[in-house]
Amino acid sequence: MGKLTPKDLERIKTAHADDGKDWIKVGMSTCGIAAGADKVYALFVEEIKKRNLNIQVKKCGCQGMCYSEPSVEVRVKGLPDVIYGKVDKEGVIKILDKHVCGNALVKDSIYELRTKR
Amino acid sequence: MIEEKKSMQEEVASLVEKWKDKEGNLIMILHELQNYYGYVPRPAALELSRVLHAPLARIYEVITFYNFFKLEAPGKHTISLCLGTACYLKGSAILLNEIKTLLNIEEGQTTKDGLFQLDVVRCLGCCGLAPVIKIDDKIYGKVQKNQVMGILSEYAEHKPEV
Amino acid sequence: MGAKIVFIKDTAVNQDTTQDFYVHFSNILRENALEGKVQVVRVADIGIYGQGLVVKFPEENIIYANVQEKDLKNIVDKTVRDGQVIKELLYQPEPKQLRIVLRNCGEIDPENIDEYIAKDGYRALAKAINDYQPEQVIEELKKSGLRGRGGAGFPTWLKWKLTRETPEAQKYVICNADEGDPGAYMDRGVLEGDPHSVIEGLILAGYAIGASKGYFYVRAEYPLAVERIEKALKQAYDCGFLGKNIFGSSFSFEVDIRLGAGAFVCGEETALIASIEGRRGTPRPRPPYPSVKGLWGKPTAINNVETLANIPPIILKGGAWYASIGTEKSKGTKVFALTGKVKNSGLVEVPMGITLREIVFDIGGGMFSGKGLKAIQTGGPSGGVIPKEYLDTPVDYENLQKLGSIMGSGGMIVMDEDDCMVDIAKFYLGFCVDESCGKCVPCRIGGYQMLNLLNKITESRGELTDLDSLKRIAVAMQKASLCALGQTAANPVVSTIRYFEEEYKDHIVNKKCRSHKCKHLLNYNVIQEKCKRCRVCVINCPVNAIEGDKEKGFFVDPKTCVRCGKCYEVCKFNAIFKE
Repeated sequence: MGKLTPKDLERIKTAHADDGKDWIKVGMSTCGIAAGADKVYALFVEEIKKRNLNIQVKKCGCQGMCYSEPSVEVRVKGLPDVIYGKVDKEGVIKILDKHVCGNALVKDSIYELRTKR
Repeated sequence: MIEEKKSMQEEVASLVEKWKDKEGNLIMILHELQNYYGYVPRPAALELSRVLHAPLARIYEVITFYNFFKLEAPGKHTISLCLGTACYLKGSAILLNEIKTLLNIEEGQTTKDGLFQLDVVRCLGCCGLAPVIKIDDKIYGKVQKNQVMGILSEYAEHKPEV
Repeated sequence: MGAKIVFIKDTAVNQDTTQDFYVHFSNILRENALEGKVQVVRVADIGIYGQGLVVKFPEENIIYANVQEKDLKNIVDKTVRDGQVIKELLYQPEPKQLRIVLRNCGEIDPENIDEYIAKDGYRALAKAINDYQPEQVIEELKKSGLRGRGGAGFPTWLKWKLTRETPEAQKYVICNADEGDPGAYMDRGVLEGDPHSVIEGLILAGYAIGASKGYFYVRAEYPLAVERIEKALKQAYDCGFLGKNIFGSSFSFEVDIRLGAGAFVCGEETALIASIEGRRGTPRPRPPYPSVKGLWGKPTAINNVETLANIPPIILKGGAWYASIGTEKSKGTKVFALTGKVKNSGLVEVPMGITLREIVFDIGGGMFSGKGLKAIQTGGPSGGVIPKEYLDTPVDYENLQKLGSIMGSGGMIVMDEDDCMVDIAKFYLGFCVDESCGKCVPCRIGGYQMLNLLNKITESRGELTDLDSLKRIAVAMQKASLCALGQTAANPVVSTIRYFEEEYKDHIVNKKCRSHKCKHLLNYNVIQEKCKRCRVCVINCPVNAIEGDKEKGFFVDPKTCVRCGKCYEVCKFNAIFKE
């Protein structure tokens, strides 16, 4: 990568600015993984490949909602960003079928946070 | 015998290599040894004492001070039962008793067949999933007493007795 | 544009009528021929508690609380159809959480440095090196009012200043990530979710102090955190944030990782230093403080993970910004690991000055079991319990201390009526006795003797004079122990006696444990009306303590009974009672 200058920091920031693409983020901290986040992540990757969907799966740290692990945040254009909690295999399929492909939110598994960053 | 001795010498030498010239390296070297052997065998500690030019007592005083280091070979599967506060409040002491009864061992002991070792740990950092049991690297959360048997049997070996 | 989205959730404490409400809502939409245009979504948690039926339009961020079925028509007519806000129903909760330390946790990929940079990462470092003298960095921290988040709350700027001013060519900074408090995992959350923020804080500390070398001292029990720090350090070296001549300046800085090995006492500064030096982690008397004589005898500043993660935003946004958050003497935010008998256990970050009630009920969603809250424990084994009468106390360093507890590293454990305070005190003291390094007498012997007394009390052998003995030994430990572990080990006992002396006396005089936790104080017997004479308890009793026959009924002999609870478990008819 080579040494970065303050200018490079700007450049990387601009390059990473919201590009309007869809993504799925899986919380992959110890508690998430303990609750099965690694399997959820793997299944997303596998299913998205199988269905040839244009959505990126990312890893992230802990959102702080240990009670609802594994948690998955989803951004799809036209729908609000939501966090799904206690996601299992079925949940992954539902999220892909309904939220990603069907333009509708999945019921009974959205966890809303009230946080100011 | 000579073969074996030589290989342990080499093993220890290679484990020490990375840390050899760093200050205060003893604990990190012990981590390397335990990672490799699963515990710190006495012959390895002796060899380490020779390599580092440190008395064996100096090495043992450190091993015995820290809970993390073991002097005996662990069982095939290590059960780490969390007795952190959150787990304790949610009944991990009951789980501990259940495991003790099922396996007929006390904390820190290994079952006769060498299959399970039972360790009590203070907080695995999964308080949201309390009570928690960790077997090897797999974590089981929100464990109920009646699930313990099922979890342990996942690790039992189904070899018929000869 | 797709359908309009509406979230609904019943937030009442004891019931959940979300489904009925959903049906009703759907019907009204159908009557108005709107069913295809609106998507009503039942959510699992709407982030609001105890406010009845809540309806939220997430895109417009309109929230209605305590909605009645009769209001639905109005909501559909006005808000759904025309986008108008109905003022009478409007609920505008202030966000209770404020994320500074956890700003990137759950947002970015912790293993990708670019994502951290995209969130203004390492810009504070660039700013400090290019625009600030080291003294100015310390000045900015002084303005911020940041205090150490490891427990004691010592002003961070002062620690840095003292270390900087000690004349010595070689200095060190250490990140204390040996999170030993059982029941707390804030540091793990940050290290796993946003390791670069801690690394940037550590480099800034090095710059301010004039240190060329830093260490991460991490618990070996956190393998994932260690792995992520290792990766992050390598990336930071590759990008030139670590190594020689950072950002082209004369400042060079190296960082190494050292693993802890399961010793709680190593959270104490001098013990931690001994451990990094490869020795037994025993503390030594202070002064000299580490800022004068620390690692290998050189001036050393030791900062906790959370403290360091606060540094980059302070440098970037200014000390005054940080000081605008919090209370008079406690600035900024604090991360708590909220656990125990609370519904939503997890990591929360709140501004100082928020009340315990807000944390437990507005963020934590209230009690897990439906049982009443009895007390909140903060500060782990060095802290104390705060009974429910003080729920409205604003949380800051001074207030918690006044109540006999401490801020600590951030464990916050909620206890309900099922938790026995004597048992809790015994639990924490047992932990400290296990973890005492044995170097000084007050801690080694005092802790052991106190634990003996508590065992005596919970095993029905207690005497009233034991309470005085406990208090006396506690004072000796507080005054005479060498380090904070011993000085604070008695705190859980002292604070439970302070607020729950009656409960201790109940154990001692009446030989009763109301919470049914102390098994030696329990009595089991058969409820004759419910007993079906099936003899299952008789067969299962390991000591043959259940006597009688099918005609006369069965009885537990309290003299033989070992209080194992087996009969209570095996009875299918709930015909065994314990008290």
